Amino acid sequence: MRSDPNIIVIGVSTGGPMTLKQIFSGRDPLNAAVIIVLHIASGMDRLIANGLASVSSMPVSLAKESETIQKGRIYLSPGGFHLKLEGNRRIVLYRGERVNYVQPSVDVAMQSLRKSLHGRIIGVILTGMGKDGAEGIRHIKGIGGVTIAQNQETSAIFGMPKAAAQTGAVDYVLPKEKIWKKLAELLKPSTSF
Amino acid sequence: MIVDDNQYIRESVEILLQLNGTRLLNASGGEECLKHLQEGFRGVILMDIMMPFMDGWDTIREIVDRGLNDGNVIIMLTAMNEPTVKMDGLQEYVVDYITKPFNPNEFIEKLKFYVSFLDGVKAH
Repeated sequence: MRSDPNIIVIGVSTGGPMTLKQIFSGRDPLNAAVIIVLHIASGMDRLIANGLASVSSMPVSLAKESETIQKGRIYLSPGGFHLKLEGNRRIVLYRGERVNYVQPSVDVAMQSLRKSLHGRIIGVILTGMGKDGAEGIRHIKGIGGVTIAQNQETSAIFGMPKAAAQTGAVDYVLPKEKIWKKLAELLKPSTSF
Repeated sequence: MIVDDNQYIRESVEILLQLNGTRLLNASGGEECLKHLQEGFRGVILMDIMMPFMDGWDTIREIVDRGLNDGNVIIMLTAMNEPTVKMDGLQEYVVDYITKPFNPNEFIEKLKFYVSFLDGVKAH
């Protein structure tokens, strides 16, 4: 029987590099594959992956075309490409129209997820300009996932978390300091949704 | 580099950075910022939004259009709490956003973090 990994998709934009560092720095690995969709120009993406790898206990890499995601790893979307997950497992990268003015788009990544029979799906929206990710969060909630948005006080820009919260599909609005703990709690085998 | 039409802000940031051993280049507006970039400046750019003639968003669009963004990290340093629709399409070029007045310690921590990114650029 195929066992899907738990999947966390994090959407983040302005203020993201510092916030990601603060969330993952010095924390234990999460029992999930973590996909980070960050609005960033190509050229900076690898540096951000390297920067996050230097503080995280989980291996961090730029997502590669056709790669199969694995739990315990962090995949950063490369700049200039949209990222989709095919069958909740295989990474597909492509250049297309910008969505919500950006590429990669959080909505594109989150809306590619399908209801999982075995693994848990969690969507997180962190600090950022605009409203990218709001429809993705609505989708994740619709397929039985859990959703989190960063609170206003700890967001450099509250635009994206606010737009996500306004869909009514966000389960938890949390300060950045509490997000990792909530993720770990949600991923415990005994946790029911 | 700080891009701000307010001399008081430029000088305040300069003093703060001098105390931390960081050099600062001044630009009183978008045109001067572009001139510094064309002359070879690469580093962290602290960009005000509300400026006469060419505002912060217009300046960033011009930086991108002229291909001058590589090797730079752009951080908005502004009194505006929330950006306007003029930022649409520029998210990928604005790494962070600091609202004035800011906490000096957090400001320096953030700046050092992004300077370390650019050190990574130079190492590659």
